[in-house]
Amino acid sequence: MDEETIMYLGISCIPPFVILITAASTGIMGIILGIFAVIAVALILMINYVDFMIFPVVTGLLGIKIQLSKDHYCPKEQNRIIKYTNGIYYATGYLTANLYNYIFRAEGIENSDDSEIILAPEKWERIVMNIDFPFKFNVITNPKDVQKYREDLEGDRGFLEFQISRESNSSNPNQMTLTELQRKVNVLQAKIDRMSSGELPLNTIMYIETTGVGISEKDASDALTTQLNRLETVFHTFDLNIIRITGREIHTLHRLNYVLLDPNSIDKLFNLQH
Amino acid sequence: MALKTQMLIFIILVGISVVFAVISLSTTNPIIIFIFGVLSLILSVVAFSAKYYTYLYIPAAKMKNKTIVLNEKEMFILSPSGNSIVVRDEGVTYATTFIKVPLYRSSTEMTDPEKLDFGRTFSRAITISKNTTKISSEMLVVNKDEYITKLRSKLDDTSQLLREAESNEKQNTVTINRLKGELTMWQNIISNISSSRSQALVTYYTVSAFGDNEEEAISIVHQRAEELATGISATLGVPAYIPEGDELLSLLEPNYMIPVETVNEIIRQKSIKEGI
Repeated sequence: MDEETIMYLGISCIPPFVILITAASTGIMGIILGIFAVIAVALILMINYVDFMIFPVVTGLLGIKIQLSKDHYCPKEQNRIIKYTNGIYYATGYLTANLYNYIFRAEGIENSDDSEIILAPEKWERIVMNIDFPFKFNVITNPKDVQKYREDLEGDRGFLEFQISRESNSSNPNQMTLTELQRKVNVLQAKIDRMSSGELPLNTIMYIETTGVGISEKDASDALTTQLNRLETVFHTFDLNIIRITGREIHTLHRLNYVLLDPNSIDKLFNLQH
Repeated sequence: MALKTQMLIFIILVGISVVFAVISLSTTNPIIIFIFGVLSLILSVVAFSAKYYTYLYIPAAKMKNKTIVLNEKEMFILSPSGNSIVVRDEGVTYATTFIKVPLYRSSTEMTDPEKLDFGRTFSRAITISKNTTKISSEMLVVNKDEYITKLRSKLDDTSQLLREAESNEKQNTVTINRLKGELTMWQNIISNISSSRSQALVTYYTVSAFGDNEEEAISIVHQRAEELATGISATLGVPAYIPEGDELLSLLEPNYMIPVETVNEIIRQKSIKEGI
């Protein structure tokens, strides 16, 4: 959790906590108020962690749709963008596609990821051959400040080396702790080496987008669901963490088709991912 | 800008929430305690939701017919040169340009070391830009609209000729049979073309820049795009270029990604098969 979220959570929870602490002494009304205060804190935490579930429920219950532009709108389920033009409905949906496993392998110090890199183009071509509808695989990259990132890595490495030295010089050094610390140092060193070879440190967001067509909104939405399910199945060969995106993130992803936000806003998006 | 608004709304709502909590606690009347206490709690939840939903607050207040309108205008306008799009948002003008990367190599024709080299080169190509970029691989439906329109026009012409021939008593059977054959031929060609989608895979980069006005934003984004295209061409050894007009729109809009006539024909054929 980033500092900004902690600040928002902390400040928002002040009124419920004040009410919770003091209300208990004001009789039955106070007890009910105390229960409401607990519910308020729970709601705040839910908005922070599972707003992608709460938001569609709220819009679904109230039947609210969101018009994103002249031709595009997001129906009350908040899981797709609809475009209606020339008598045809186009429903666009999104899947997360973060290659977590590949990131972890990239941190490996040996060339264990070579076989994965060799297999990747073949897997990709197999996926493309098996799909007979339009889709996009998107990777948004946001370069980090190289100097600052390198200094952070070197700082972390220095701290770990200090811990290794302290553990080694202790009267009873723990071999498992030493091995673990050494592994962390190696991972950091691998990152530093990659930067020295000219690679830029990047934040990345990966997602898949597909569009279903139909002569009615339901037709297009049904086609979209089928397509998303098929994509989910075929992309599993890539060890992807695939989830259908719902809620406000749909609005942001739709906007990212037309404009890449400024680096600060993008950084904020990366923070929100966690 | 958006961050400032978000923070401002949050502070105002939390402030009111705290004031209500203080009022609630500084009185002995249980009803006032309860009402102000509940209001304070509601406001604290709404305040926290400002972190994510500030952009919906004002449009939600103006909501009509259960529709929150975030933007009534077109999502973007095409620049006069036709090779970038312009988006106006909260007083800032953004320009976005695309760089198409024509990759023709297939893994089936590569040896393992070549595949490894390709993977690493591609990985390097992703880290090439110092700005925020989007790299996309898009599978789109090949645009057969023009061809289908031509075929349908031929079909309509032949149908018209056949109708005229059949109504004309002087016309001989050979001509009528020839026209019937031609009509069947056009129908078969349309049916064959529509029976399967022809698809193409394209890879492209997206870059954006903002400026005080349209010209400035377009100029900055073109500069970035040219730099990036040069870098991509040098790294991947392919002639990367900036697409224009319909080619650009096919990377953006679903109705260009899945062309109208082509889709209509596919839907029509599907309906015929399903017996609708």
